Amino acid sequence: MSQTNPAVEKLRAQFEGAIQAESEFRGETTVTLRPQDLVAVARFLRDDPELRFNHLSNLTAVDWSKYPGHAAKERFSTVYQLLSTRSGQRLTLKVPAPSSDSPIVPSLTGLWPGANWPEREVYDLMGVKFDGHPDLRRILLPFNWPNHPLRKEIPRGGETVPFSMTWEDEEFASFGKQIVEAKAVPQVPPKQADANKHMILNMGPHHPATHGVLRVVVELDGERVVAAYPDLGYLHSGFEKQGESIRYKDFTLYTDRADYVSSMCTNLSYSLAVEKLMGVDIPRRAQVIRVIMAELQRLASHLLWLGTSVLDSAGVSHALLMYCFREREQILDILELVSGARLTTTYIRPGGVWRDVPPSFVERVQDVLDAFPKRIDEYERMVTHNPVWKSRTIGIGKLTQAQALAMSVTGPALRATGLAFDYRKTRPYSGYEAYDFEIPTATDGDLFARYLCRVAEMRQSLRIIEQALKNLPDGPVWTADRKMSLPPRQELDTSMEALIHHFKLNTEGFVPPVGEVYECAESPRGETGFYLVSDGTANPYRLHFRTPSFVNLQATDLMARGGFIADLVLIIGSVDITLGDVDR
Amino acid sequence: MDWINLILIPAIKSVILVVVLLTGFAYLTWVERKLIGRFQQRIGPNRAWKFGLGHPIADALKMIFKEETIPNYTDKILFALGPGLALAPSLLIFAVIPVGPTLRMFGKDIPFVVADVNIGLLWVLAVGGIGTYGTVLGGWASNNKYSLLGALRTSAQMLSYELPMGILIIALLLTTALGTADGSGTLNLVEIVRMDRPWWLWAWIWLAFPLYFICMLAETGRKPFDFPETENELVAGYQTEYGSIKFALYYMTEYLHVLGASGVAVSVFFGGWRGPFVEQFPGLGLLYFTIKLLAMVFLFIWASASVPRPRYDQLLKFCWTFLFPAALIYMAITAVGVVLL
Repeated sequence: MSQTNPAVEKLRAQFEGAIQAESEFRGETTVTLRPQDLVAVARFLRDDPELRFNHLSNLTAVDWSKYPGHAAKERFSTVYQLLSTRSGQRLTLKVPAPSSDSPIVPSLTGLWPGANWPEREVYDLMGVKFDGHPDLRRILLPFNWPNHPLRKEIPRGGETVPFSMTWEDEEFASFGKQIVEAKAVPQVPPKQADANKHMILNMGPHHPATHGVLRVVVELDGERVVAAYPDLGYLHSGFEKQGESIRYKDFTLYTDRADYVSSMCTNLSYSLAVEKLMGVDIPRRAQVIRVIMAELQRLASHLLWLGTSVLDSAGVSHALLMYCFREREQILDILELVSGARLTTTYIRPGGVWRDVPPSFVERVQDVLDAFPKRIDEYERMVTHNPVWKSRTIGIGKLTQAQALAMSVTGPALRATGLAFDYRKTRPYSGYEAYDFEIPTATDGDLFARYLCRVAEMRQSLRIIEQALKNLPDGPVWTADRKMSLPPRQELDTSMEALIHHFKLNTEGFVPPVGEVYECAESPRGETGFYLVSDGTANPYRLHFRTPSFVNLQATDLMARGGFIADLVLIIGSVDITLGDVDR
Repeated sequence: MDWINLILIPAIKSVILVVVLLTGFAYLTWVERKLIGRFQQRIGPNRAWKFGLGHPIADALKMIFKEETIPNYTDKILFALGPGLALAPSLLIFAVIPVGPTLRMFGKDIPFVVADVNIGLLWVLAVGGIGTYGTVLGGWASNNKYSLLGALRTSAQMLSYELPMGILIIALLLTTALGTADGSGTLNLVEIVRMDRPWWLWAWIWLAFPLYFICMLAETGRKPFDFPETENELVAGYQTEYGSIKFALYYMTEYLHVLGASGVAVSVFFGGWRGPFVEQFPGLGLLYFTIKLLAMVFLFIWASASVPRPRYDQLLKFCWTFLFPAALIYMAITAVGVVLL
């Protein structure tokens, strides 16, 4: 095996015998470790001054029990994607869990507190336990769910859903009684909260400020937030399990429904991952169209964020919400023009884009470019210099750079702490390296900094779109690689192979080689990544969906502590979550 | 003879006033929705009848015919009492506001005010203070944490803002000493409206209006100071558990507060029903009063569409560290001026 990765060299030198195997696929190195070495190796990788893999970008697990040629080995293994925010290097760690009945691996929460929720997710869906995890409970499914659904022997669908809201449930039985007889309440969940000293306020799942069905249990001292415990899973629909039973190209539709506010960007990350797995190249025109669409979507998403964020602080009568919607409408019209749908576009697909853009596309995008700078100026006049808005946001919900990295926060929330980390620059994809744009950063890490970052990003998106529109090349918009593209019509008349190929692609779908990849893109919310394991069939063997909303939402508690309940509302807004993206 | 003056005429006037106020409230919601719609580049209500004028009626019917629910674990008596306690004072404020000059009708001089009493402004403050009980009791009786927080916020907010408001009113009362013949001043709103003042006194009085307006926003609990309900934080604050007509009563209270506060402000700061040619055609007074009132209401709505909401503690801090001292200074200067003049 060719030895290329200096990180692996260093690891070999430092930890003798820790590395069980090393593999390389599509330029990504995967290192298999013994469980007992995981924490030490991860700490070394994080702290080594040369390597500095300081960002835990993804954490998941795979059940290998049905994988061809894997029968004798450990059934489960956890997978970690580490990234160096400085060099953009990525390293994948794989840790086989020793026992197949009750697999257990050491927890990384000591190194990255942000590993908390992803580990809980793995425990919830896969049943892998984490040694040293502070609070290993189910996270997406109800506490009394009978199985771990991502295990291969669990069938898809058909379960009876055990609703947790029954009178036998101590939590449910205590609802509504807490003011009348506080002492009678045994202990309201979460167990860490002190119900006798503080007021436990249940925000959501139906609350005007949670932007969807998010429930936050807030521990209050007066109006001060002692702690906030988000409770997720109300929208969980098992995308990952579903992905294992459908073809690669069919899953594109699910990516729309996850982050429904920025479907183009999620489409793009998924397409990138699948294309990497397939090893195909995408024609220039498709790439430029992808960039334009992704940046338009970023604008639309940030506009929605801006509108709802001001809504959070001002109430429905404030005019900015509708201003933002007016502009977003213009973008959604373009999305509709190219894809036929406004929200769930499924336009960017593995292999290229659905169809070429219609002739009026350039003109319509040019309209956006002409109109938007003035509009953004107008918002800034309305909000940026408004003393009330400033007093609401400056110094509130602070997150330091170290905290943000520890919590695996990505996107504008990370950039607001001063770190210019953006996948479009750090690991350019779709030809982003060819565009001239900046990564806006701010230093304070508070709500106002996040706001400034997002507004500045909107201007940068316009810059990118302008350049892309100017240099929109001619040519095909679907890959020429026959692994993914249909043979041209005239070949079907003459070539038997082409006919078979056509039939196979349309019925079975394209078939990637055996291997596993992780690829991500910068969505408006942060890092949207896909981890795909292929067993050489047309369906993914394992599909993990790393969503920025889920990971970023973890930092809410950290940001909200000590603030007021009114701040909590703004903080949840500033994380910019989409609940479909959180729960999947 | 006497019973006509003492009972019949005030009773008729009250009935007319209440009817006008209650329909006025309904159409105020229409005005607000239309205006907010325009601010937000929307059309606003336009389904029922022309210009959506049927919407308030439809809303009222819906509210009345909805099922009334009283949740478990509430204090049922207080829960039912809350909306009434809130609504009554907001109507009572109007008793002392002169909506027009004295008109000669049916062979009698009829002043366009329900109660021409000496304690006019004091009445406004007192009754306005009682209104807080309705909100606080309703929020407390709901036994809902959001309601509780909303109710507590209400009490703190109202109490805090009553201080600068009261002090501003005292200052304005001091200026009335310059208008009365014997220099003793008056609390009577009817007399205050009638008073002739030199231009420099008007200028000085208007100087206090921005402060007073902020107090008014906070007192009425309107956006951007709608902390008792803050839908983004507290769902609906003190009225979370209320539905159907009880909810409508609270809703009514809020709008009547707006109307009442605007009426007082118009009377104290902008000469009430007075305007050009009102001596010749006293009926014009009603028109002037309505126009001024609507202009004031427009200010309320404008503020709600353009200013984000501060945080609750910031609002209180603003009151105690800026508004209260500013009002005190204003009053002190006024007092010195009045004594010297």
